[in-house]
Amino acid sequence: MSIQTAYSSQASPAEAVADVKKQLGSEPLKLLLFFASTQYDPTVLAKAVNDAFPGTPHLGCTTAGEITSGLMLEKSLVVMAFGTDALADVNIQLVLEPANPAAVMQALMNFEQHFGEPIAALDMDRYVGLVLVDGMGGAEETLMEGLGDATDVLFVGGSAGDDLAFKATWVFSGGLAHSNAAVLAILRPTGRFGFIKTQSFITLPKKLVATQVDEPNRRVLEFDGKPAAVAYAEALSVSVADASKRFMRNPVGLMAGDEPFVRSPQRFDGNAMVFYCNVKEGMELSLLESRDIVEDTTKAIEAKQKELGTFSAIVNFNCILRTLELKAAGQMDAYGKVFAGVPTIGFSTYGEEFLGHINQTATMLVFAR
Amino acid sequence: MPGLVKKMIDAIVLERSKGNVVIANSTRTKLLLKGIDPLKYTPTTEDDAAIIAKVRTAALDFGVRLS
Repeated sequence: MSIQTAYSSQASPAEAVADVKKQLGSEPLKLLLFFASTQYDPTVLAKAVNDAFPGTPHLGCTTAGEITSGLMLEKSLVVMAFGTDALADVNIQLVLEPANPAAVMQALMNFEQHFGEPIAALDMDRYVGLVLVDGMGGAEETLMEGLGDATDVLFVGGSAGDDLAFKATWVFSGGLAHSNAAVLAILRPTGRFGFIKTQSFITLPKKLVATQVDEPNRRVLEFDGKPAAVAYAEALSVSVADASKRFMRNPVGLMAGDEPFVRSPQRFDGNAMVFYCNVKEGMELSLLESRDIVEDTTKAIEAKQKELGTFSAIVNFNCILRTLELKAAGQMDAYGKVFAGVPTIGFSTYGEEFLGHINQTATMLVFAR
Repeated sequence: MPGLVKKMIDAIVLERSKGNVVIANSTRTKLLLKGIDPLKYTPTTEDDAAIIAKVRTAALDFGVRLS
């Protein structure tokens, strides 16, 4: 069966899970990955999945919109089922306090025990990590840094959403729903795999250096020795009042060569700027400007297909800010169609994970035939 | 002694990557995300005690022993 997907927009968790179960059939699974709207009671949904797929390792999280092959959905459940021929091995670990480095370390030690070799020695060409984390807890940076320090295995994933309510998000593991938690998986695919990180921005010449920050609260107090809001507005050559309308179009990027790791402004807090991910003191950030998401994503997928060959599946962690931009531009259908023809699931995230915690990006795990 | 920061960064990248280009690049990106931009430091960059301490901490995080 390799990798299959299914989705359901049935109203209740039990109906939705029964619907996808029927679509997937009864072949044994190595792993079930699922993303769901918070219209489904998380606790009921977690149990329904566990009951419908007994003995199948599974993980998932809540969303701010779901993605499946060819479609951008809302109030739905999307699932990806990995057959026994798709994965040679998988292990899932729940981290109940992802901001606690000791909790992350314990999960890594559990991975070591399962795979029978030190986490630092796991071959990044054979293993890949998935990370789903509470989207409201602000723990992503600590979690990703802990993972990146310990292993070269690349973890890709997203921060759970709650349909833009911004009240509580959930991750799923072992038949239970958890807040303030992360669920990690390390997979050993039988075939080739790769990553796509695409953010659909161009880099403008203007740079801003964070000279005073409140890192734990993701606040930048000063850029270039000036109040952050003033410096950001000056960089855009607009008033501070108008600058707040430019956050989505003009975020900033920490540049790794030509590759931006996007930091998206959330709001002005007086003259400070609050971001959706952290900015460290001394970081030099480039001003970015948005480009066509559909066109850029299509190019990124085509480039990766040339490298890897025909895809057998895509897991897409797409920033909610991109989804909102797509909605505003009337491009939701066009974006969904980018993934038509390839078994795909994904969701609109409250943050993306790829080496670190980033914003306004789509991070994807792709499997090749 | 100018250039110490670059030497330390190069040592971390080499030890961590063992010559694997992909791991070397991801290690440089991880350093960037920790607030240390590897491209900012050259053999002639004046040493800065605060940056040196930051790089030492990063080395410890990565499990790399710097001589």
